[in-house]
Amino acid sequence: MLDFLRYGFMQRALLSSVIVGTTCSCIGVFVVLRGMAFAGSGLAHAAFGGVALGFLLAVNPLFAAVLFCLGTAGLIQVATRRAQLRMDAAIGVFFAFAMALGVLFIGLMKRYDARVYGYLFGNVLGVTPGNLAMMAVLALVVIGAIAVLYRPLKFLTLDEDMAEAAGLPTVPLAALLLGLLALTVVVSLKTVGIILVEALLVTPAATAYQLTHRYGMMFVLSWIAGIVSCVAGLVVSYFLGIPSGAAIVIVATVLFALAALFSPKRRKCKVCGHESAA
Amino acid sequence: MTSPAGSSVRFDHVTVAYQQSIAIEDVSFELRAGEFLGIIGPNGSGKTTLLRAVLGLVRPVSGSVTVLGAAGRELPNARRHMGYVPQRRALDPRFPISVRDAVTMGLYPALGAFRRPTADERARVEQALAAVGLVESAGHVAGHLSGGQQQRLLIARALVQAPQILLLDEPTSAVDAATRSAMVELVRRLHAERALTTLYVTHDVNEVLPCVDKVLYINRTVRAFGSCAQVLNRETLESLYGGRVIFAEEGGRRYVVVGDRHA
Repeated sequence: MLDFLRYGFMQRALLSSVIVGTTCSCIGVFVVLRGMAFAGSGLAHAAFGGVALGFLLAVNPLFAAVLFCLGTAGLIQVATRRAQLRMDAAIGVFFAFAMALGVLFIGLMKRYDARVYGYLFGNVLGVTPGNLAMMAVLALVVIGAIAVLYRPLKFLTLDEDMAEAAGLPTVPLAALLLGLLALTVVVSLKTVGIILVEALLVTPAATAYQLTHRYGMMFVLSWIAGIVSCVAGLVVSYFLGIPSGAAIVIVATVLFALAALFSPKRRKCKVCGHESAA
Repeated sequence: MTSPAGSSVRFDHVTVAYQQSIAIEDVSFELRAGEFLGIIGPNGSGKTTLLRAVLGLVRPVSGSVTVLGAAGRELPNARRHMGYVPQRRALDPRFPISVRDAVTMGLYPALGAFRRPTADERARVEQALAAVGLVESAGHVAGHLSGGQQQRLLIARALVQAPQILLLDEPTSAVDAATRSAMVELVRRLHAERALTTLYVTHDVNEVLPCVDKVLYINRTVRAFGSCAQVLNRETLESLYGGRVIFAEEGGRRYVVVGDRHA
């Protein structure tokens, strides 16, 4: 049954699935608890502009996507603080702008290149050794930053005002979190694509949320849900011959449905008797 | 960390502005270690800004704030000796965190990124929970507590830092009357037992009358500062409440009544 692992492309696909499952599920805890789902979606769409620019200039599309996503995250922060916009409005402005640039860059290409559209839905079987190395480096940056800033980010997520009163630099921390989300989007582009990356940013963490009242445990359960979704989705897509991105998202959603259906949080809290509306 | 003269908090002609709008202007007062200051004033009078200036979260455009001997760029260093209880907002009931864990977060500035709490620090968490009567609720989800319990949780989180100064910003603004008097009694007891310098912002003069050593009446500028007897006179209170004020005594306690209603 494990014969498929003899192939180099499948080994890279499996490794990239583990990387994507780990990175998305960790940052996903903040996406779910801080209500940043639209930010994830917006940054994913902004990546399209970067990918198109990469093909136009004949540079690594993932590298161009990193710059585009970080630039968009920076513009969202500036608009939120300086123009005093709500974050969802700022995201709406700049993700549409980045998408428009993507369409413009495609129009400026001398000949049609279908590979641009491959990034919309991802192709985990097409991950190259170079892609894998870049994904690993970006994932290490994201996971390392979350590990080092675990406590400040927890304070920021629970109570931003109190975090500020405790002396934490809340504005730079929130900006950094958006930057980490941007990098996570790029990590996931080759595996699930721009359209479906949102699911991995939200669904594993939302699944974990159904199962625990503990912040630390939410990371562990989200990570398990993320890895199971990506690896099982990859295997299912191989054996059934269906698109890998779609298979990963479908498995993640099934896990979420099961967790929601059998969530212990649906019952009254044993300790305080509160019935959670999870 | 105290200043040589025993001064805990000192404002010298402090003006704080947000963009073009002045929040407090030319504010001067001094509070000695262990004193209890009640801060009163109408909405938008600068009470919260004053607390934020003590915490070093806003910088004066003129004048200086000195806390425990630290001033200017050194002021944020004094923050770890201060416990802050903000205006009550409901904690997110969806956030997965226990009461004990939420109180432990008060130790984070001292713990840094990775250090685990020592046995002594864990004991301080249990002591803080006991001090506010939340031992039995320690395993509950923080956001599932009642309003009054959540406020006690925030006080416990402030206490766990072993502060020298306790700042409370309208801690009873969203709780019922019974919870309010229990809360005031808790703060009074903690102030007495731990010799905490306490700054307590409130709308309700009666709330702090039994506790305070000094009262600061602020309405952008200092309108009055001194002992209860000096500040809480008819003229000052009628200016604060904008109506006729009556003093009443019951059971040896003095109350302020505005017109025909309780202040």
